[in-house]
Amino acid sequence: MPPFKDEHVLIIAPGSQTTLAQLGLPESFTPARLRIPTRMFPAERKGEWEPMKVRERKFSKAATRDGINGHNDGDVTMGETNGTTTSAEDKEEETLYEEDPTSEEGAVYPLRDGRVVDWSCFFALLTHVYNTLSPPFHTPILVIAQPQWKLQDHENLTQFFFEKFKTPAFCLIDSALAISYAYATPTATVVDVGYEKCEVSIVNEYFVSDLGRGTPLLDCGGEAMTQRLLKFLSGKGFTRDMCEQLKKNPICEVLLPGAELPVEAEAGNPAAAASTGVTGSGDGHRESIAAQGGALRGPGANADAGEADEGREFKDGEDDDGILDVATIVASGKTSEFLARKEKEKADRAAARKKDAADAAAASKERALPNSKRAKANFHYHERRPLEELNANGKRSTDGEGGQDGGEPKRQKTPEPGAENDAQAAENAAAIRKEERKEERRRNREGTAFIRKNVEVGPERFQVASGGILDQIADTIHQRISSVPEVNKRSDLWDSLAIVGNGSRVKGFKEALLATLNARYLISPSSATIFSSELPSNFTTPVATGANTPQPQHHASHHGPGVNPLLLAATTASNANLAPPGHSQQQLHQHLQQQQYYQQQMQSHQHSSHAQTPTSIKLLKLPDYFPEWKDIGVEEAVFLGAQVAAKVVFVVDQGLSKGFMSRTEYNEMGPQGIHESCL
Amino acid sequence: MATGQASTKPPDANEYGGDEISALVLDPGYTTTRAGFAGEDVPKSVVPSHYGIMPTDSGPKQLFGDNSIHTPLPRISISNYMSREGTVEDWDTAANLWEYAITSRLTNAKPGPLATNGLNDVESQEMEMEGVETQEKSLRDNPLLMTETGWNAGKDRERGIEIAMENWGCPAYWLARNGVLASFASGKSSALVVDMGASTISITPVHDGLILKKGVTRSPLAGNFVSQQLRLMFSQSQPPIPLTPHYLIASKTAVDAGTPSQATLRTFAPNTEPDPSFRHFQEERVLTEFKESVVTVWPGPGRLSGHNQQGGTNMDIARQHPGKPFEMPDGWNQMFPALDRYRPVEALFDPKMALSDASNPPPHQSQVVGTLIQTSLAQVEVDIRPQLLSAVVVTGGSSLYQGFTDRLSQELQIMYPGTRVRISAPGNPVERKFGSWIGGSILASLGTFHQMWISKKEYEEQGAGIIEKRCK
Repeated sequence: MPPFKDEHVLIIAPGSQTTLAQLGLPESFTPARLRIPTRMFPAERKGEWEPMKVRERKFSKAATRDGINGHNDGDVTMGETNGTTTSAEDKEEETLYEEDPTSEEGAVYPLRDGRVVDWSCFFALLTHVYNTLSPPFHTPILVIAQPQWKLQDHENLTQFFFEKFKTPAFCLIDSALAISYAYATPTATVVDVGYEKCEVSIVNEYFVSDLGRGTPLLDCGGEAMTQRLLKFLSGKGFTRDMCEQLKKNPICEVLLPGAELPVEAEAGNPAAAASTGVTGSGDGHRESIAAQGGALRGPGANADAGEADEGREFKDGEDDDGILDVATIVASGKTSEFLARKEKEKADRAAARKKDAADAAAASKERALPNSKRAKANFHYHERRPLEELNANGKRSTDGEGGQDGGEPKRQKTPEPGAENDAQAAENAAAIRKEERKEERRRNREGTAFIRKNVEVGPERFQVASGGILDQIADTIHQRISSVPEVNKRSDLWDSLAIVGNGSRVKGFKEALLATLNARYLISPSSATIFSSELPSNFTTPVATGANTPQPQHHASHHGPGVNPLLLAATTASNANLAPPGHSQQQLHQHLQQQQYYQQQMQSHQHSSHAQTPTSIKLLKLPDYFPEWKDIGVEEAVFLGAQVAAKVVFVVDQGLSKGFMSRTEYNEMGPQGIHESCL
Repeated sequence: MATGQASTKPPDANEYGGDEISALVLDPGYTTTRAGFAGEDVPKSVVPSHYGIMPTDSGPKQLFGDNSIHTPLPRISISNYMSREGTVEDWDTAANLWEYAITSRLTNAKPGPLATNGLNDVESQEMEMEGVETQEKSLRDNPLLMTETGWNAGKDRERGIEIAMENWGCPAYWLARNGVLASFASGKSSALVVDMGASTISITPVHDGLILKKGVTRSPLAGNFVSQQLRLMFSQSQPPIPLTPHYLIASKTAVDAGTPSQATLRTFAPNTEPDPSFRHFQEERVLTEFKESVVTVWPGPGRLSGHNQQGGTNMDIARQHPGKPFEMPDGWNQMFPALDRYRPVEALFDPKMALSDASNPPPHQSQVVGTLIQTSLAQVEVDIRPQLLSAVVVTGGSSLYQGFTDRLSQELQIMYPGTRVRISAPGNPVERKFGSWIGGSILASLGTFHQMWISKKEYEEQGAGIIEKRCK
């Protein structure tokens, strides 16, 4: 078998929401070049699947003859197997099948909670990924295995890849192990916050510990956070989609545990807070806002006369932002006020204008505050309009900004900002980009499916991970680490936390989780041990092999030699337990015995840490020799680990250490053979 | 790869043992229920035997698994399907929990028919539902090896095969004594197995791979007893040591040793507080941590209550030994002097040292591990006693107290001077904790074991009574 080359390796990392894939290993490992939603749409024939929503469109023949042809050329993309026009000479109307890249209607997500719930759909998705990248024949494939996949699932996948794609080599690697590869650490506690679930896995010496791995934490992923926002904001007209976009916006933040929710009073206008009835405490605030119903008003505006209010509302409300509807402004008689605001923005937020003086000052002060201190923030979101509605109107959206922003929502939908993608558009990604551009062009032609809107949100945006999500994840981490039978490994595991997964991308989530862990589980250095020259932990379960090697160092007396006895006596007087044993009523023979005892101990016992954990909790850092990963964060580190693994397994090692299953092995052993070579 | 050619020959059936047939091994215990595939070295699915009960409008709902029983859900209570004797008490729950243990991590709940798993082309829908059972049984493809205690008897032995065959549709079944399996796990066919579990300590003499039933002895002086000793120690100390489980703590601050804690406690709305059994169960988690990091066995020589050659008491010597700090979940911390570290486990060897109160009477001399071994050996034939003493296998999670095996060895040497006493205890805590499961995994993956299975056909012909005939 010829050796595998870097550029032939195919990596697929299926997730519940997004599947990452890439053909070829670049010189320096990059984020995944292909990211597609993990969903397929049922095709017309049962058992067949389409990567995009295909809808029928009826045309009156005469009127749109040219249009159809034009569209057809642009629209036929790969995978659209039945995108054919059923034109019949004698029919008045004609059916055109068109793809709607933005619709989620009727989509089937084959992975739920990390489990494969629809194999036929999942295989179709994998085929779609494979065809999109169209690898050469001699391509080894590496697939990231979800922790919840069982042996039977591994066999199904193995059989599928070998028999459908005739791949020469196949490797399944556990996602937690891939993450430890990415961090280049043999020991890690991997907290993978996904879409609907969170997995906590222990990687010990490059082995994923099955003990205590258990089932995933349901309702602790990104979707749970969206639902959380929806719970607080649904009363204010927020939809799920808006909450989803809000969650991904940097104004949405997880505050550290115990942090006060900012209240409007902090904007430097206490009168305003009083007048709106907003109370100081976080809880009260929440309720009062719910009681207020929809309208949210700026503090300054409320303090001012009612007329300013109206002008403000036009900006804050559901009306489109950014259009200078001069007629409306003039008609409403608020021209001067509007101009004043314009001026204010130009004057670098500092100049105080006659009427708006207090308002501007308050606003600028608020703007200078960090997000977590501000009670309110503006938030732009994109509302999707169904294509058919636009088509029915037959005209461009009236929205001024819509056209320019057409491409953006797609990027926003994927958790990773699109900029990185652009920067690294490489040869095999070019096809996808081209397709996207085509899509964009078409959308511009037909009018956009998205419109941009602006809305203001209050402190509800800090409630995103409330409701026990952090508590539950923290407790699970503690419980999983405590279930590691090797007691002396636990402290290493606490020191190597890796919080990954796109659910953890919410601003402040990692910090808050770390703070929760610290607040609840960290063992502070006990004041009881200040006089111990070393941790009094020199007793351990002896190793039954009898290989207990005597420790070379001499066991010092357990209270430090340099401690002033008077100081010692003074500090320990109040606490009898702290007095070093044998210090008060020392007798010679006891000293002798003690010496003998220690010598005996040193001969028969190994020094190992049997102490309580954690004494420190640390997050792992991604190695800094992957510059491409520096800016985009560690959330998709699993893909970096997959590339490292693929490089090692397929290219460097070439199968010497059975890192993958070759076609020959598959022919001999069948799908079951994967268990022997699966990482 | 070396041959470079595709082999068309199917693998020889004798070549591959249990891997090919994917037998399951299920080992129920008081703390955890272990399940996994035969041939693997650790059980993939370790599920707590405790389960949560949530009162709902439509009757109580059972919650299984680590994730659900550690969350303070409204009015949750915690129960266990195993009795304190280490045998199954609540069979209905046991069947549910076992099925959960197997299907949550090992097999798919419903391995769909081959025609619809997406791997096979189906030309038409006609052949559908012809020979395929409409109701797929969860373990249709997996033979099941289950473990039982040495004192399991009568109808209880038959319930296992009934569940496996009737509820799960297993193709084959076997029931093995966990003592025997633990001796297999340490590579011995004859051994004296000391199984130190959570609820029970048991001594099982095994000779040539067969259990010597007369010699099986047991007592409750095991892990839970030590926990109870710790609770007594905490409550009887002056001032009493608070035991607050993690779930009640919102956040804690560092305090000086011995001073009251300053933690922020979590509050629950009225009528949503968890049941006291939940708190008790969560307190066990703290006690486990205490046992792992502080508790240690008096290393000897002699007993803690005894005297040494110089005439001083061992207690005085113990006072010289270093203490160890421990921090409670609420931040309270203290240096536990060595005596407090030795005392809770000393009662396993010496009933005089046990702490007791009105509801916790001190144990009897006949319950300590030394006496249990003596009683057990007295029941077996004289000529195999030296053989058993030279192969004492220590297993079970509670045997992991620091210094336990050393102390046991000392006690046995004093009891049987002149006999070669050899303790074999795996140093790896995983092997110690899951000794009987590992033995089961070895047994079920042996090629020669396959003729032993009780097949579904045999069960259908002879009924559940076949267990008594086949699995001695």
